Amino acid sequence: MSDFDRRKFLKSTGAVAALGGLGVFGLGTNRHAFAQSDAATDQPEVIQKTIPSTGETIPAVGLGSWITFNVGNDIELRKQCADVMSAFFRSGGRMIDSSPMYGSAQDVIGYGLDALGAHKKVFSTDKVWTSGDGASQIKETSERWKVQQFDLLQVHNLLGINENLPLLFRMKDAGQLRYVGVTTSHGRRTEDLIAVMKNERLDFVQVTYNPVDRKVEDYLLPLAYDRGIAVIINRPFRGGSLPERLEGEPLPEFARELEVKSWAQLILKYLISHPAVTCPIPATTKPAHAMENMAAATGALPDEKMREQIAAVIGVLV
Amino acid sequence: MSEWWDYGLADLLLFSPRVYYRLFEIMNTTWWLVVVSALVAGVIASGLALRHGFRGNRVILVLLALVWAWCGYGFLWQYYSPINWAIPYLLPGFALQVVLFAIFAARPLPLRFGWRGDFSSYVGLTLVAFALIAFPFVGLIEGRDLLQAELFGSAADPTALGTLGFVLLSRGTWRWALLPVPLLWCVISAGTLWVMDQQVAFVMLAAVWVTVFCGWLDLKNGVTTKRLTEAEIKDPAS
Repeated sequence: MSDFDRRKFLKSTGAVAALGGLGVFGLGTNRHAFAQSDAATDQPEVIQKTIPSTGETIPAVGLGSWITFNVGNDIELRKQCADVMSAFFRSGGRMIDSSPMYGSAQDVIGYGLDALGAHKKVFSTDKVWTSGDGASQIKETSERWKVQQFDLLQVHNLLGINENLPLLFRMKDAGQLRYVGVTTSHGRRTEDLIAVMKNERLDFVQVTYNPVDRKVEDYLLPLAYDRGIAVIINRPFRGGSLPERLEGEPLPEFARELEVKSWAQLILKYLISHPAVTCPIPATTKPAHAMENMAAATGALPDEKMREQIAAVIGVLV
Repeated sequence: MSEWWDYGLADLLLFSPRVYYRLFEIMNTTWWLVVVSALVAGVIASGLALRHGFRGNRVILVLLALVWAWCGYGFLWQYYSPINWAIPYLLPGFALQVVLFAIFAARPLPLRFGWRGDFSSYVGLTLVAFALIAFPFVGLIEGRDLLQAELFGSAADPTALGTLGFVLLSRGTWRWALLPVPLLWCVISAGTLWVMDQQVAFVMLAAVWVTVFCGWLDLKNGVTTKRLTEAEIKDPAS
């Protein structure tokens, strides 16, 4: 592992303009160049983050589907998931992430995309999760989503990496896929992930990160920034346990400047204010929470000092 | 690179308790006639199994075969498999259990149900009674609607639990063949329920342990090894 200096990296984030117009002014907050709002659909102004490999921008908060979208053939729950997707899209969201590992989540996303006619709106993000035939699995995934082509496919938890990563690169070279990535979670397999990030031309990497699980700040996030790899954040709420533990606790006084209404929003602002982070993907079963999460990608973001304060406060409370 | 063994138990559970218990609500309301019939089948089978004398043996086995078939097809395949990728790997076990019950019903094998009055019989009775009568109300205690009740003959957990009880109420060497599938299901289900924070996980695990213990006791006492005499066939408590 190199002796990349975290403090040096964070100071160098004056170069964050390369990541979508982040600037640092004043003492407490970041002010950002907002994306033009879509006047036709009257969407709120959402912070956009840049995908380094292409310069494309995407909204700074996405939607995960782990557990929340695995509702099987329950039509009532499928409609609720479609409502979540609707609220997410109306609030300016685009990236939805899933995996073959997530049971019926892919089918439910396909159901929602059909119901909403949102196939062109979504930034479709899924995974290949097999040590067997990755191509067949990807085909099945595509049929479940009812999309012709994915924006991003990732090797899930590095399973079958030696076969599946070359497969994804072949698909990308053939124009069948726009972006290639890999994922891990819970901080597992860090050494393997670092090796892949250093040796492969990845567009995305997905890791676990939140104000309590901060290990990635030491090396992985700076490495991703250095290598021009976009970063998706899973478990931003630790599977839901962070907001649950913080419920009832008053928001810290300094958070007033950020205009947050909940701990969930504060956590998301903490995450997306990191210059290496592209898009956390919180999961939810409630349309109101989807809108609340997207609202975190608007307005002011904390600077480095406030980020440390946020992590300190949450670390004490949980 | 290490792969599958990186996953913990919690990583493999990919559905919420909310979604899981709605499966029973939908099944109970959609298939209420079949669900009630399966429960009644269990009650009839238990009545026959608790009688002195080994009459009704074939009826018990046929009823158990039918409820396992319904449980496997109705619950596991139709409702549970869409949210749990592991179910298709477990379904062959249910199919095997159905085949075993059917074979025992069709062939004159030394397997007989009947009240013996020993410790193992009492445990068997307790498990059958819990599966038929108490299990449906476990959900109420945990704050769920009665419509989400898990019923013997349709839901896998009480069916497996009750089957362990039925097996303990039987005697004969061949009863061993009927234990692995329900034991395995109880272990897997205990893990699932534990990750979902459901207290009934401990009941499933306790049932496994007590069944294994009783099996060992019965082996020592000759319940599963001693040949049945004509007198014992007429009155198993003799």
